[in-house]
Amino acid sequence: MNNKETYLSDWLANKITDEQLKQFVSDDDFIAFQKIKKSLDVFQIESSDSIASFQSIKDKINTKKSSSVPVIPIWKYISIAASLILLLSFSFYFSRETTIETDFGTTQNSTLVDNSIVTLNSKSKLNYSNFFKFNRNLYLNGEAFFQVKKGSTFTVNTTLGKVEVLGTKFTVTNSDDFFEVICYEGKVKVTLKNDKISILTPGKSIQYYKDKTELRVDKTLKTPLWLNNETSFKNVPVKIILEKITNQYGVQFDFPKSIENILFSGTFTHNDIDTALKSLCIPLNLKYIKKGTTKIEISE
Amino acid sequence: MDLKNTVQETCLCDEATFKLVFDSQFKALRNFLIFRYRNPNFAEDIAQNAFVKLWENCKILKNEQAKSFLYTTAIRLSLNQIKHEKVVNEFEIKLVPKSFHHESPQFLLEEIELKVQLEKAINSLSTKQREVFLMNRFENQSYSEIATQLNLSVKAVEKRMHHALLSLRKVIKSI
Repeated sequence: MNNKETYLSDWLANKITDEQLKQFVSDDDFIAFQKIKKSLDVFQIESSDSIASFQSIKDKINTKKSSSVPVIPIWKYISIAASLILLLSFSFYFSRETTIETDFGTTQNSTLVDNSIVTLNSKSKLNYSNFFKFNRNLYLNGEAFFQVKKGSTFTVNTTLGKVEVLGTKFTVTNSDDFFEVICYEGKVKVTLKNDKISILTPGKSIQYYKDKTELRVDKTLKTPLWLNNETSFKNVPVKIILEKITNQYGVQFDFPKSIENILFSGTFTHNDIDTALKSLCIPLNLKYIKKGTTKIEISE
Repeated sequence: MDLKNTVQETCLCDEATFKLVFDSQFKALRNFLIFRYRNPNFAEDIAQNAFVKLWENCKILKNEQAKSFLYTTAIRLSLNQIKHEKVVNEFEIKLVPKSFHHESPQFLLEEIELKVQLEKAINSLSTKQREVFLMNRFENQSYSEIATQLNLSVKAVEKRMHHALLSLRKVIKSI
Protein backbone atom coordinates (compact mmCIF):
# COMPACT_ATOMS: atom_id res chain seq x y z
CA MET A 1 0.00 0.00 0.00
CA ASN A 2 1.49 3.29 -1.07
CA ASN A 3 -1.50 5.41 -0.07
CA LYS A 4 -0.45 6.34 3.43
CA GLU A 5 -2.51 9.48 3.37
CA THR A 6 -5.71 7.98 2.07
CA TYR A 7 -6.12 4.52 3.63
CA LEU A 8 -8.99 5.72 5.82
CA SER A 9 -10.90 7.18 2.91
CA ASP A 10 -10.22 4.04 0.91
CA TRP A 11 -11.56 1.99 3.77
CA LEU A 12 -14.70 4.16 3.99
CA ALA A 13 -15.23 3.73 0.27
CA ASN A 14 -14.74 -0.03 0.65
CA LYS A 15 -11.64 0.09 -1.50
CA ILE A 16 -9.72 -1.77 1.17
CA THR A 17 -11.00 -4.38 3.61
CA ASP A 18 -11.05 -4.28 7.42
CA GLU A 19 -8.06 -6.60 7.41
CA GLN A 20 -6.09 -4.26 5.22
CA LEU A 21 -6.96 -1.33 7.48
CA LYS A 22 -5.74 -3.25 10.53
CA GLN A 23 -2.27 -3.15 9.00
CA PHE A 24 -2.30 0.64 9.22
CA VAL A 25 -3.91 1.23 12.61
CA SER A 26 -3.88 -0.17 16.13
CA ASP A 27 -6.67 -2.42 17.35
CA ASP A 28 -8.13 0.35 19.51
CA ASP A 29 -8.16 2.73 16.62
CA PHE A 30 -9.72 0.15 14.36
CA ILE A 31 -12.60 -0.35 16.81
CA ALA A 32 -13.04 3.37 17.13
CA PHE A 33 -13.11 3.90 13.37
CA GLN A 34 -15.61 1.09 13.02
CA LYS A 35 -17.85 2.66 15.64
CA ILE A 36 -17.65 6.03 13.93
CA LYS A 37 -18.48 4.51 10.58
CA LYS A 38 -21.41 2.63 12.03
CA SER A 39 -22.92 5.59 13.83
CA LEU A 40 -22.52 7.75 10.76
CA ASP A 41 -24.76 5.22 9.04
CA VAL A 42 -27.31 5.39 11.83
CA PHE A 43 -27.56 9.14 11.97
CA GLN A 44 -28.45 11.72 9.40
CA ILE A 45 -28.73 15.42 9.02
CA GLU A 46 -32.09 16.92 9.85
CA SER A 47 -33.86 17.12 6.54
CA SER A 48 -36.01 19.97 5.45
CA ASP A 49 -39.54 20.01 4.20
CA SER A 50 -38.81 19.89 0.51
CA ILE A 51 -42.40 20.62 -0.54
CA ALA A 52 -42.28 23.88 1.38
CA SER A 53 -38.87 24.62 -0.12
CA PHE A 54 -40.14 24.08 -3.65
CA GLN A 55 -43.13 26.29 -2.95
CA SER A 56 -40.97 29.12 -1.71
CA ILE A 57 -38.72 28.78 -4.76
CA LYS A 58 -41.81 29.14 -6.93
CA ASP A 59 -42.89 32.17 -4.93
CA LYS A 60 -39.49 33.75 -5.32
CA ILE A 61 -39.55 33.13 -9.06
CA ASN A 62 -42.99 34.68 -9.36
CA THR A 63 -42.21 37.74 -7.28
CA LYS A 64 -38.99 38.22 -9.22
CA LYS A 65 -40.92 37.99 -12.46
CA SER A 66 -43.37 40.65 -11.44
CA SER A 67 -40.77 42.85 -9.87
CA SER A 68 -38.27 42.41 -12.68
CA VAL A 69 -40.45 44.44 -15.04
CA PRO A 70 -39.42 47.83 -13.62
CA VAL A 71 -35.70 47.29 -13.96
CA ILE A 72 -35.21 51.00 -14.47
CA PRO A 73 -33.71 52.38 -11.29
CA ILE A 74 -35.66 54.93 -9.33
CA TRP A 75 -33.45 57.85 -10.33
CA LYS A 76 -34.40 57.30 -13.94
CA TYR A 77 -38.05 57.65 -13.01
CA ILE A 78 -37.27 60.76 -11.06
CA SER A 79 -35.37 62.29 -13.95
CA ILE A 80 -38.13 61.41 -16.40
CA ALA A 81 -40.68 62.95 -14.07
CA ALA A 82 -38.54 66.02 -13.55
CA SER A 83 -38.04 66.61 -17.26
CA LEU A 84 -41.74 66.11 -17.86
CA ILE A 85 -42.60 68.65 -15.22
CA LEU A 86 -40.06 71.04 -16.67
CA LEU A 87 -41.41 70.55 -20.17
CA LEU A 88 -44.98 70.93 -19.03
CA SER A 89 -44.29 74.05 -17.05
CA PHE A 90 -42.40 75.56 -19.98
CA SER A 91 -45.16 74.79 -22.44
CA PHE A 92 -47.71 75.95 -19.91
CA TYR A 93 -45.82 79.18 -19.40
CA PHE A 94 -45.32 79.86 -23.07
CA SER A 95 -48.72 78.73 -24.22
CA ARG A 96 -50.32 81.10 -21.80
CA GLU A 97 -51.63 84.23 -23.33
CA THR A 98 -51.91 87.66 -21.94
CA THR A 99 -55.14 89.38 -22.80
CA ILE A 100 -55.90 93.05 -22.46
CA GLU A 101 -59.54 93.95 -22.88
CA THR A 102 -61.43 97.18 -22.62
CA ASP A 103 -65.11 97.70 -21.98
CA PHE A 104 -67.54 100.26 -23.39
CA GLY A 105 -66.24 103.77 -23.19
CA THR A 106 -62.87 103.04 -21.69
CA THR A 107 -59.36 103.22 -23.01
CA GLN A 108 -56.40 101.50 -21.49
CA ASN A 109 -52.68 102.13 -21.64
CA SER A 110 -50.45 99.10 -21.40
CA THR A 111 -46.72 98.73 -21.54
CA LEU A 112 -45.72 95.48 -23.18
CA VAL A 113 -42.74 93.37 -22.06
CA ASP A 114 -40.58 94.98 -24.77
CA ASN A 115 -41.50 98.45 -23.43
CA SER A 116 -43.73 99.21 -26.39
CA ILE A 117 -46.85 101.09 -25.40
CA VAL A 118 -50.32 100.11 -26.48
CA THR A 119 -53.39 102.23 -25.98
CA LEU A 120 -56.54 100.27 -26.44
CA ASN A 121 -59.66 102.13 -27.47
CA SER A 122 -63.05 101.11 -26.11
CA LYS A 123 -64.40 97.60 -26.56
CA SER A 124 -61.16 96.19 -27.89
CA LYS A 125 -59.19 93.10 -27.18
CA LEU A 126 -55.48 92.39 -27.47
CA ASN A 127 -53.84 88.98 -27.10
CA TYR A 128 -50.24 87.98 -27.02
CA SER A 129 -48.44 84.87 -25.90
CA ASN A 130 -45.62 84.76 -23.42
CA PHE A 131 -43.32 84.19 -26.38
CA PHE A 132 -43.81 87.88 -27.08
CA LYS A 133 -40.34 88.72 -25.78
CA PHE A 134 -38.81 86.57 -28.51
CA ASN A 135 -41.40 87.05 -31.19
CA ARG A 136 -43.31 90.28 -31.10
CA ASN A 137 -46.60 89.04 -32.36
CA LEU A 138 -49.98 90.09 -31.12
CA TYR A 139 -53.62 89.73 -32.02
CA LEU A 140 -56.01 92.62 -32.07
CA ASN A 141 -59.72 92.91 -32.31
CA GLY A 142 -60.89 96.48 -32.06
CA GLU A 143 -58.80 99.62 -32.12
CA ALA A 144 -55.43 100.33 -30.65
CA PHE A 145 -52.64 102.87 -30.90
CA PHE A 146 -49.16 101.44 -30.82
CA GLN A 147 -45.91 103.14 -29.90
CA VAL A 148 -43.42 100.46 -30.77
CA LYS A 149 -39.89 100.30 -29.35
CA LYS A 150 -37.27 99.71 -32.00
CA GLY A 151 -36.24 96.10 -32.25
CA SER A 152 -37.27 92.96 -34.02
CA THR A 153 -40.36 92.92 -36.22
CA PHE A 154 -43.51 93.83 -34.36
CA THR A 155 -46.60 92.27 -35.84
CA VAL A 156 -50.22 93.10 -35.18
CA ASN A 157 -52.54 90.41 -36.48
CA THR A 158 -56.19 90.99 -37.14
CA THR A 159 -58.84 89.04 -38.96
CA LEU A 160 -58.61 91.29 -41.99
CA GLY A 161 -54.89 91.86 -42.29
CA LYS A 162 -51.66 92.21 -40.48
CA VAL A 163 -49.37 95.14 -39.74
CA GLU A 164 -45.63 94.75 -39.45
CA VAL A 165 -43.31 97.42 -38.14
CA LEU A 166 -39.87 97.82 -36.69
CA GLY A 167 -40.40 100.83 -34.47
CA THR A 168 -43.07 103.43 -34.95
CA LYS A 169 -46.42 104.84 -33.88
CA PHE A 170 -49.58 103.72 -35.54
CA THR A 171 -53.23 102.92 -34.99
CA VAL A 172 -54.94 99.75 -36.00
CA THR A 173 -58.71 99.50 -36.16
CA ASN A 174 -60.41 96.23 -36.80
CA SER A 175 -64.01 95.14 -36.76
CA ASP A 176 -66.04 92.56 -38.65
CA ASP A 177 -65.51 94.05 -42.10
CA PHE A 178 -63.63 97.26 -41.48
CA PHE A 179 -59.89 97.54 -41.13
CA GLU A 180 -57.86 100.71 -40.87
CA VAL A 181 -54.22 101.45 -40.18
CA ILE A 182 -52.95 104.96 -39.61
CA CYS A 183 -49.23 105.56 -39.42
CA TYR A 184 -47.96 108.45 -37.25
CA GLU A 185 -44.26 107.80 -37.18
CA GLY A 186 -41.77 105.49 -38.89
CA LYS A 187 -42.83 102.95 -41.47
CA VAL A 188 -45.59 100.40 -41.35
CA LYS A 189 -46.07 97.42 -43.59
CA VAL A 190 -49.69 96.37 -43.95
CA THR A 191 -50.62 93.01 -45.41
CA LEU A 192 -54.31 92.69 -46.09
CA LYS A 193 -56.34 89.54 -46.04
CA ASN A 194 -56.18 89.45 -49.84
CA ASP A 195 -52.35 89.46 -49.62
CA LYS A 196 -52.15 93.06 -50.84
CA ILE A 197 -49.13 94.74 -49.29
CA SER A 198 -48.88 98.48 -48.63
CA ILE A 199 -46.15 100.48 -46.97
CA LEU A 200 -47.35 103.40 -44.89
CA THR A 201 -45.22 106.42 -44.10
CA PRO A 202 -46.15 109.01 -41.46
CA GLY A 203 -49.53 110.61 -42.10
CA LYS A 204 -50.61 107.87 -44.45
CA SER A 205 -53.46 105.58 -43.66
CA ILE A 206 -55.09 102.62 -45.28
CA GLN A 207 -58.71 101.67 -45.03
CA TYR A 208 -60.22 98.37 -45.99
CA TYR A 209 -63.97 98.06 -46.10
CA LYS A 210 -65.99 95.42 -47.90
CA ASP A 211 -63.05 94.33 -50.06
CA LYS A 212 -62.24 97.87 -51.11
CA THR A 213 -59.01 99.53 -50.06
CA GLU A 214 -58.31 103.23 -49.89
CA LEU A 215 -55.01 104.96 -49.20
CA ARG A 216 -55.07 108.45 -47.72
CA VAL A 217 -52.63 111.10 -46.55
CA ASP A 218 -53.13 113.49 -43.64
CA LYS A 219 -49.85 114.92 -42.46
CA THR A 220 -51.45 116.86 -39.62
CA LEU A 221 -52.10 113.84 -37.50
CA LYS A 222 -49.61 113.22 -34.74
CA THR A 223 -51.59 110.93 -32.48
CA PRO A 224 -55.07 109.51 -32.79
CA LEU A 225 -57.75 111.89 -31.64
CA TRP A 226 -59.41 109.27 -29.48
CA LEU A 227 -56.48 109.64 -27.15
CA ASN A 228 -57.93 113.11 -26.48
CA ASN A 229 -61.41 111.75 -25.90
CA GLU A 230 -62.49 112.29 -29.46
CA THR A 231 -62.84 109.99 -32.40
CA SER A 232 -62.31 111.34 -35.84
CA PHE A 233 -63.13 109.87 -39.20
CA LYS A 234 -62.34 110.57 -42.78
CA ASN A 235 -64.66 109.03 -45.33
CA VAL A 236 -65.77 106.29 -43.03
CA PRO A 237 -69.09 104.48 -43.54
CA VAL A 238 -71.81 105.42 -41.10
CA LYS A 239 -72.13 101.81 -40.05
CA ILE A 240 -68.56 101.84 -38.71
CA ILE A 241 -69.10 105.15 -36.97
CA LEU A 242 -72.20 103.79 -35.27
CA GLU A 243 -70.14 100.78 -34.18
CA LYS A 244 -67.61 103.15 -32.70
CA ILE A 245 -70.30 105.05 -30.85
CA THR A 246 -71.67 101.76 -29.62
CA ASN A 247 -68.23 100.79 -28.34
CA GLN A 248 -67.86 104.14 -26.70
CA TYR A 249 -71.21 104.53 -25.03
CA GLY A 250 -72.56 100.98 -24.86
CA VAL A 251 -75.72 101.80 -26.76
CA GLN A 252 -77.47 99.97 -29.58
CA PHE A 253 -78.63 101.47 -32.83
CA ASP A 254 -81.56 100.81 -35.09
CA PHE A 255 -80.91 102.34 -38.46
CA PRO A 256 -82.16 101.92 -42.03
CA LYS A 257 -79.93 99.93 -44.36
CA SER A 258 -79.88 102.80 -46.81
CA ILE A 259 -77.61 104.89 -44.63
CA GLU A 260 -75.00 102.34 -43.61
CA ASN A 261 -72.66 103.03 -46.49
CA ILE A 262 -72.83 106.81 -46.44
CA LEU A 263 -69.33 108.14 -45.92
CA PHE A 264 -68.72 110.54 -43.08
CA SER A 265 -65.85 112.79 -42.12
CA GLY A 266 -65.77 114.36 -38.72
CA THR A 267 -65.27 113.72 -35.03
CA PHE A 268 -67.36 112.73 -32.09
CA THR A 269 -66.66 113.33 -28.46
CA HIS A 270 -66.37 110.61 -25.86
CA ASN A 271 -67.81 112.73 -23.10
CA ASP A 272 -71.41 113.26 -24.07
CA ILE A 273 -73.57 110.98 -26.18
CA ASP A 274 -75.97 113.76 -27.29
CA THR A 275 -73.13 115.89 -28.62
CA ALA A 276 -71.65 112.87 -30.26
CA LEU A 277 -74.93 111.91 -31.92
CA LYS A 278 -75.56 115.45 -33.03
CA SER A 279 -72.14 115.76 -34.60
CA LEU A 280 -72.94 112.73 -36.68
CA CYS A 281 -76.63 113.30 -37.44
CA ILE A 282 -76.81 117.01 -38.18
CA PRO A 283 -74.30 117.03 -41.07
CA LEU A 284 -75.94 113.96 -42.59
CA ASN A 285 -79.47 115.18 -42.07
CA LEU A 286 -80.43 112.27 -39.86
CA LYS A 287 -82.74 112.13 -36.86
CA TYR A 288 -82.22 110.12 -33.69
CA ILE A 289 -84.69 109.09 -31.05
CA LYS A 290 -83.60 107.64 -27.72
CA LYS A 291 -85.66 104.60 -26.85
CA GLY A 292 -84.84 103.68 -23.30
CA THR A 293 -81.31 104.06 -21.96
CA THR A 294 -79.44 101.86 -24.40
CA LYS A 295 -81.52 101.90 -27.57
CA ILE A 296 -81.35 104.61 -30.20
CA GLU A 297 -83.29 104.74 -33.42
CA ILE A 298 -81.89 106.67 -36.33
CA SER A 299 -83.99 107.69 -39.29
CA GLU A 300 -83.58 109.85 -42.34
CA MET B 1 -28.82 11.38 -9.02
CA ASP B 2 -27.72 11.23 -12.61
CA LEU B 3 -29.39 14.06 -14.41
CA LYS B 4 -28.16 13.01 -17.79
CA ASN B 5 -30.44 10.01 -17.88
CA THR B 6 -33.46 11.43 -16.17
CA VAL B 7 -33.96 14.67 -18.00
CA GLN B 8 -32.04 14.50 -21.19
CA GLU B 9 -34.55 15.41 -23.85
CA THR B 10 -36.39 18.07 -21.92
CA CYS B 11 -35.77 21.71 -21.24
CA LEU B 12 -35.08 23.13 -17.81
CA CYS B 13 -37.69 25.77 -18.44
CA ASP B 14 -40.28 23.05 -18.46
CA GLU B 15 -41.76 23.01 -14.97
CA ALA B 16 -41.86 19.24 -14.73
CA THR B 17 -38.18 19.04 -15.61
CA PHE B 18 -37.40 21.76 -13.14
CA LYS B 19 -39.22 19.82 -10.45
CA LEU B 20 -37.21 16.71 -11.33
CA VAL B 21 -33.98 18.62 -10.92
CA PHE B 22 -35.27 20.01 -7.65
CA ASP B 23 -36.20 16.59 -6.32
CA SER B 24 -32.84 15.11 -7.18
CA GLN B 25 -30.64 18.04 -6.19
CA PHE B 26 -32.22 20.30 -3.60
CA LYS B 27 -31.63 18.26 -0.48
CA ALA B 28 -28.02 17.52 -1.37
CA LEU B 29 -27.36 21.14 -2.21
CA ARG B 30 -28.96 22.35 0.98
CA ASN B 31 -27.04 19.84 3.08
CA PHE B 32 -23.80 20.70 1.31
CA LEU B 33 -24.38 24.31 2.34
CA ILE B 34 -25.11 23.23 5.89
CA PHE B 35 -21.91 21.14 5.97
CA ARG B 36 -20.02 24.12 4.70
CA TYR B 37 -21.57 26.94 6.68
CA ARG B 38 -23.25 25.14 9.57
CA ASN B 39 -26.33 27.33 9.32
CA PRO B 40 -29.54 25.56 8.24
CA ASN B 41 -31.59 28.74 7.62
CA PHE B 42 -28.80 30.28 5.60
CA ALA B 43 -28.36 27.04 3.66
CA GLU B 44 -32.05 26.74 2.93
CA ASP B 45 -32.21 30.32 1.69
CA ILE B 46 -29.12 30.08 -0.49
CA ALA B 47 -30.23 26.76 -1.94
CA GLN B 48 -33.61 28.24 -2.84
CA ASN B 49 -31.98 31.27 -4.44
CA ALA B 50 -29.66 29.03 -6.44
CA PHE B 51 -32.72 27.28 -7.85
CA VAL B 52 -34.31 30.63 -8.65
CA LYS B 53 -31.14 31.53 -10.58
CA LEU B 54 -31.29 28.17 -12.32
CA TRP B 55 -34.84 28.95 -13.43
CA GLU B 56 -33.83 32.39 -14.66
CA ASN B 57 -31.04 30.89 -16.72
CA CYS B 58 -32.96 27.81 -17.86
CA LYS B 59 -32.88 28.89 -21.48
CA ILE B 60 -29.12 29.08 -21.78
CA LEU B 61 -28.29 26.03 -19.66
CA LYS B 62 -28.21 22.46 -20.79
CA ASN B 63 -29.68 19.86 -18.47
CA GLU B 64 -26.35 18.28 -17.68
CA GLN B 65 -25.00 21.66 -16.63
CA ALA B 66 -27.71 22.14 -14.02
CA LYS B 67 -25.92 20.41 -11.16
CA SER B 68 -22.61 22.22 -11.46
CA PHE B 69 -24.46 25.47 -12.08
CA LEU B 70 -26.38 24.99 -8.84
CA TYR B 71 -23.25 24.38 -6.78
CA THR B 72 -21.24 27.18 -8.35
CA THR B 73 -24.14 29.58 -7.97
CA ALA B 74 -24.79 28.51 -4.38
CA ILE B 75 -21.16 29.06 -3.41
CA ARG B 76 -21.08 32.43 -5.15
CA LEU B 77 -24.35 33.49 -3.50
CA SER B 78 -23.04 32.38 -0.12
CA LEU B 79 -19.85 34.35 -0.49
CA ASN B 80 -21.81 37.44 -1.53
CA GLN B 81 -24.14 37.05 1.39
CA ILE B 82 -21.37 36.51 3.89
CA LYS B 83 -19.49 39.51 2.55
CA HIS B 84 -22.67 41.51 2.75
CA GLU B 85 -23.69 40.47 6.24
CA LYS B 86 -20.12 40.14 7.50
CA VAL B 87 -21.11 37.46 10.00
CA VAL B 88 -22.93 34.22 9.50
CA ASN B 89 -24.24 32.81 12.73
CA GLU B 90 -22.60 29.51 13.27
CA PHE B 91 -24.96 26.82 14.35
CA GLU B 92 -23.96 23.37 15.39
CA ILE B 93 -24.70 20.57 13.01
CA LYS B 94 -27.29 18.35 14.62
CA LEU B 95 -27.56 14.67 13.99
CA VAL B 96 -30.83 12.79 14.18
CA PRO B 97 -31.30 9.00 14.17
CA LYS B 98 -32.39 7.60 10.83
CA SER B 99 -34.92 5.32 12.49
CA PHE B 100 -35.78 4.01 15.92
CA HIS B 101 -35.17 0.31 15.58
CA HIS B 102 -32.71 -0.23 18.39
CA GLU B 103 -33.10 -3.32 20.46
CA SER B 104 -31.58 -2.70 23.86
CA PRO B 105 -31.73 0.41 26.04
CA GLN B 106 -28.03 -0.01 26.63
CA PHE B 107 -27.31 0.19 22.94
CA LEU B 108 -29.50 3.25 22.67
CA LEU B 109 -27.66 4.93 25.49
CA GLU B 110 -24.31 4.17 23.91
CA GLU B 111 -25.52 5.47 20.62
CA ILE B 112 -26.78 8.73 22.08
CA GLU B 113 -23.50 9.24 23.85
CA LEU B 114 -21.65 8.61 20.61
CA LYS B 115 -23.98 10.94 18.76
CA VAL B 116 -23.14 13.80 21.13
CA GLN B 117 -19.43 13.18 20.73
CA LEU B 118 -19.75 12.81 16.99
CA GLU B 119 -21.64 16.07 16.69
CA LYS B 120 -18.97 17.83 18.65
CA ALA B 121 -16.24 16.26 16.54
CA ILE B 122 -17.93 17.07 13.23
CA ASN B 123 -18.52 20.65 14.26
CA SER B 124 -14.89 21.08 15.15
CA LEU B 125 -13.65 19.83 11.78
CA SER B 126 -12.22 22.37 9.38
CA THR B 127 -14.69 23.53 6.74
CA LYS B 128 -12.79 21.80 3.95
CA GLN B 129 -12.74 18.48 5.76
CA ARG B 130 -16.28 18.76 7.02
CA GLU B 131 -17.96 19.48 3.71
CA VAL B 132 -16.19 16.62 1.95
CA PHE B 133 -16.64 14.18 4.80
CA LEU B 134 -20.34 14.86 5.28
CA MET B 135 -21.10 14.92 1.57
CA ASN B 136 -19.64 11.49 1.33
CA ARG B 137 -21.15 10.07 4.48
CA PHE B 138 -24.54 11.74 4.63
CA GLU B 139 -25.23 12.39 0.98
CA ASN B 140 -23.67 9.21 -0.30
CA GLN B 141 -21.72 11.02 -2.93
CA SER B 142 -18.69 9.27 -4.36
CA TYR B 143 -15.28 10.89 -4.12
CA SER B 144 -15.28 11.62 -7.83
CA GLU B 145 -18.72 13.25 -7.64
CA ILE B 146 -17.56 15.46 -4.80
CA ALA B 147 -14.38 16.25 -6.69
CA THR B 148 -16.24 17.51 -9.76
CA GLN B 149 -18.68 19.54 -7.70
CA LEU B 150 -16.01 21.25 -5.67
CA ASN B 151 -13.56 21.52 -8.52
CA LEU B 152 -11.00 19.38 -6.73
CA SER B 153 -8.97 16.38 -7.70
CA VAL B 154 -10.19 13.01 -6.47
CA LYS B 155 -6.92 12.62 -4.59
CA ALA B 156 -7.55 15.84 -2.68
CA VAL B 157 -10.99 14.62 -1.70
CA GLU B 158 -9.56 11.33 -0.52
CA LYS B 159 -6.93 13.11 1.56
CA ARG B 160 -9.54 15.34 3.15
CA MET B 161 -11.66 12.33 3.98
CA HIS B 162 -8.71 10.60 5.51
CA HIS B 163 -7.75 13.54 7.68
CA ALA B 164 -11.34 14.16 8.67
CA LEU B 165 -11.62 10.63 9.99
CA LEU B 166 -8.33 11.01 11.83
CA SER B 167 -9.60 14.24 13.42
CA LEU B 168 -12.81 12.54 14.49
CA ARG B 169 -10.82 9.77 16.07
CA LYS B 170 -8.80 12.32 18.03
CA VAL B 171 -11.92 13.97 19.43
CA ILE B 172 -13.68 10.72 20.20
CA LYS B 173 -10.94 9.35 22.42
CA SER B 174 -13.13 7.72 25.00
CA ILE B 175 -14.46 5.03 22.71
